[in-house]
Amino acid sequence: MASEKMKLEVWKGDWGLPSVDPHCLAVLAYCKYSGVPVDVIKTGNPWRSPTGNFPVLRHKGESYCKVTDIFSYLRKEHWGSDFELSTKQSADVIAFSALLEEKLLPALLHLWWMDDKTFIDVTRPWYSRAIPFPLSLFLPGRTQKKAELRVNLTKGGEYISEMETEAKVYKEAKECLNLLSHKLGDKQYMFGRLPSSLDALVFGYLAPLLKAPLPNNQLHNHLIQCDNLCRLVNDVLVTFFPVDLREMEEKKKKEQQQKSKNVTMDNSEFPHRRRNMFLAGIFALTTMAIYAWSSGLIQIQISDLDPAPSPDSRTNGKRSQVAVEAGGAQS
Amino acid sequence: MSSVLDQENIDNLCVDVSEASGTSREQQKWSEDVILFQPYQVEQITLPDYAQCLAVEAFLRMTGIIFRVEQRTNAAEMSPSGKVPFIQVGSQLIAEFEPIVKFAASKGYCLCKDKPEQAVAEMWAYVSMLDNILTNAELYVAWMVPDVLAEVTKPRYGCAYPWPLNWILPWLKQREVQHLMTIKDWASKSLGEVTGEVRVCLRALSEKLDKNKFFLGPTPSELDAVVFGHIFILQTSKLPGSPFNKLVSQFDNLGNFCKRIESTYFF
Repeated sequence: MASEKMKLEVWKGDWGLPSVDPHCLAVLAYCKYSGVPVDVIKTGNPWRSPTGNFPVLRHKGESYCKVTDIFSYLRKEHWGSDFELSTKQSADVIAFSALLEEKLLPALLHLWWMDDKTFIDVTRPWYSRAIPFPLSLFLPGRTQKKAELRVNLTKGGEYISEMETEAKVYKEAKECLNLLSHKLGDKQYMFGRLPSSLDALVFGYLAPLLKAPLPNNQLHNHLIQCDNLCRLVNDVLVTFFPVDLREMEEKKKKEQQQKSKNVTMDNSEFPHRRRNMFLAGIFALTTMAIYAWSSGLIQIQISDLDPAPSPDSRTNGKRSQVAVEAGGAQS
Repeated sequence: MSSVLDQENIDNLCVDVSEASGTSREQQKWSEDVILFQPYQVEQITLPDYAQCLAVEAFLRMTGIIFRVEQRTNAAEMSPSGKVPFIQVGSQLIAEFEPIVKFAASKGYCLCKDKPEQAVAEMWAYVSMLDNILTNAELYVAWMVPDVLAEVTKPRYGCAYPWPLNWILPWLKQREVQHLMTIKDWASKSLGEVTGEVRVCLRALSEKLDKNKFFLGPTPSELDAVVFGHIFILQTSKLPGSPFNKLVSQFDNLGNFCKRIESTYFF
């Protein structure tokens, strides 16, 4: 058995999930299912990771970066959740893992990294907040390029337009969700009562899709219609990751408090707005008056009120004329 | 399974009963000539393309659609997606296995219409597994193993073109495949690891088939066509070093299955 404890580095979590990355989530879930004693390090700094990405499992001086490698290493160390499965079910695990990678992964890559709206609103802000400064400038861009290459090379081609690729990728992903839903049926997990590595993978792929605050997205909407898949994800979250759920609730409360603070802030800002409107009004009036004066609409004549030689009637007439003209310019 | 979902995906998969009921009406619509286009089988075709062509041909034979095969040196350039094989039905061109299967299903030719939902879901998962593992392994062997590349793949791929095209085009294709393999994390694998992946895949298939005649009970399905395409070429290809031939012979039921399909549908 392991003399030293394994260390697992993953992307940190958000939105009530222990991690935001599908692969990290899959490994975390697998570790929980099989009860591996592992130190989980939630981080946003991939400086020390050999591939510049997570998950990374370190044990006895070796590090494993790919999900399949991590699973097979854990299995070799006699930690696994698949020992109960029959050989046929193990074959199914391989087949469905391939299905996920072939059909669902391209759509998720497209959604997170290539869909402009999600990338700008969700993905890029999240990663640039999570990753420390100098890395945050180029790592998201690099990941985006990688995702683009992967989707275009595997699903597109020089004969197919970008729009067609997008349509194809999402259509395949929706079919994949349907197939998963058929496979799951009414069972608690894919193969009955006990979770397997396939459940871990499915959970990893679907949880961010279900929980992240994505701008109205077709894949998210389709997933919501698959009741049994949503139930699976929520079950796993409640059973195996209750801490993260609690954290999210606390965060939500905090946010709400901040929001209510913001409302009062709005009120305190109100007099400012009044003042600004007032100033703007004065400014506009002054400008108009200056313009009217400079173009000759208003004439101002300064004269003494009591010059001795001039008759009173003439000056009175002039002054009333100014008043009339100014009124005309303003209206 | 929610009913909303089923309705929405009526055209996606051939699990829907509503399509099956319309079969007799639809069948008359398929009166146009069906032509299967592929590269020259003996001189030109490369290993991965051959597997795809065989799979589609087996599928068409299983459904009982009447078709003829046209061999063209420029089949890949004629195909709407740039990949072989493709079929022409009237004025429509449909390329690659899954779109062809779906097109046939929309015309009422579906091999799995009265099979249970879960079995069909599993079937498509296995089809993905073959795509994910065997197709990549074939690409790897054909384009990344230096001996095979120099002796078999490049001469075959370029055989239809005059000099210097017979040198430039295979080189371009090689670069394209290398990019694809890199992005899929296959380029860093050794031949031994690739063989290991193939063995895992074949073992899974062997478990799935067990002692049945076909993968999904007594009648053929799409999966049978794809498996036949891949296993047949793994078994019969003559490559330097012959990495896969011995592998298939370790799984008796798969070998027998292949012979059975060949004798039933290809005579």
